[in-house]
Amino acid sequence: MGLAITVGVFGVLVLFHAAYSTIQYKGLLKITEDEFSGPPFNVVIELFVGLLLCFWAALTVPGKFQSIHPHSEENRIVSLPANLDFMIFNHRGKVSPVELDVKLR
Amino acid sequence: MVTKTEETQLNRLENQVDNGGGGAWDYLCLVRKLKVRRSEKVLKHGLSILNDHKQRSSLGADEWTLYEQVAVAAMDCHCLDVAKDCTKVLRKRFPDSKRVGRLEAMLFEAKGSWELAEKAYASLLEDNPLDQAIHKRRVAMAKAQGNISVAIDWLNKYLETFMADHDAWRELAEIYVSLQMYKQAAFCYEELILSQPTVPLYHLAYADVLYTLGGLENLQTAKKYYASTIDLTGGKNTRALFGICLCTSAITQITKGKSKEEKEGLQLQSLAAKVLEKDYKQRAPDKLPQLTTALKSLTLSS
Repeated sequence: MGLAITVGVFGVLVLFHAAYSTIQYKGLLKITEDEFSGPPFNVVIELFVGLLLCFWAALTVPGKFQSIHPHSEENRIVSLPANLDFMIFNHRGKVSPVELDVKLR
Repeated sequence: MVTKTEETQLNRLENQVDNGGGGAWDYLCLVRKLKVRRSEKVLKHGLSILNDHKQRSSLGADEWTLYEQVAVAAMDCHCLDVAKDCTKVLRKRFPDSKRVGRLEAMLFEAKGSWELAEKAYASLLEDNPLDQAIHKRRVAMAKAQGNISVAIDWLNKYLETFMADHDAWRELAEIYVSLQMYKQAAFCYEELILSQPTVPLYHLAYADVLYTLGGLENLQTAKKYYASTIDLTGGKNTRALFGICLCTSAITQITKGKSKEEKEGLQLQSLAAKVLEKDYKQRAPDKLPQLTTALKSLTLSS
């Protein structure tokens, strides 16, 4: 958890650094009066690294993925709820009442 | 619907609560959410919370829900004094509540004074003719008195108004099955499958009814629904696997090898048998010989 958050923060910092480098590069281009055709290669690499780190952190930090398949082990329906709306009280339990010393005080 | 995860969670909490490990309130909440019938345990643990003043007041407004839950559980266990006390407390807190009125009528039911209960329900329905819970209670009351045909009439009338109520459809289907009116039951299960197509247990029940009805066409349809149950449960439903085997052998008995889909059917049967054997080997190895003889007799008879 702690590691993932650190990596995520680091990834965001890398992304910011890539943005900063691009701005600096554009400023440099203005001095040399060249056309801007795209960021330099090392900035693109940096962007990708930052993106990957952020991706990894975003998929790890919130927790595990849960299955959406109806037949998966967690989602498999094993029994229907007892139909409590139609519950009836004169069943065989009447003959053998609960031997509990219960009382509402 | 109770899923596998919820079932394990419930069993774990039940164990914990029974052994005095605490978590009674969580357990009661889960019981309420899953709508399972654990009246004895609800009564015991619910009362222990209600009798403990500190615990009770920490619940806040949920306290009244707990009173209601315990009251119904007490009626189910025939501890009518407790049920009466709980209802009285609720009546004191909510002097003109319909929900408490229903609870009082249920108390009449539990005592067996049907006329009083009927009168109470009738007056509640006069105030609100569309109260679903009360209509259902009347059906249950007819059933409890043994007037199954009256219960069916009430239920049919109720379903004309509230067609989307799948609990009522299920109840009607179960009543029809208990009376061996399988065609009507099949209709109810069709309705249920239409409204909730992802619940494998409705497919299973429908297939069971069709298999019981018999006849080549019904058997073939039953086999398809057993197969869809297997699909929806990931092959973990033993009953559906057995259903496939039984259907296939019944179909081959009828067609006597005339049908052209027979080969495919036999393949399905052997697959189902294989899964069954594997499952038995894992979970009940001492019953494996019984299973193999049963399966062999199925294939021999065809």
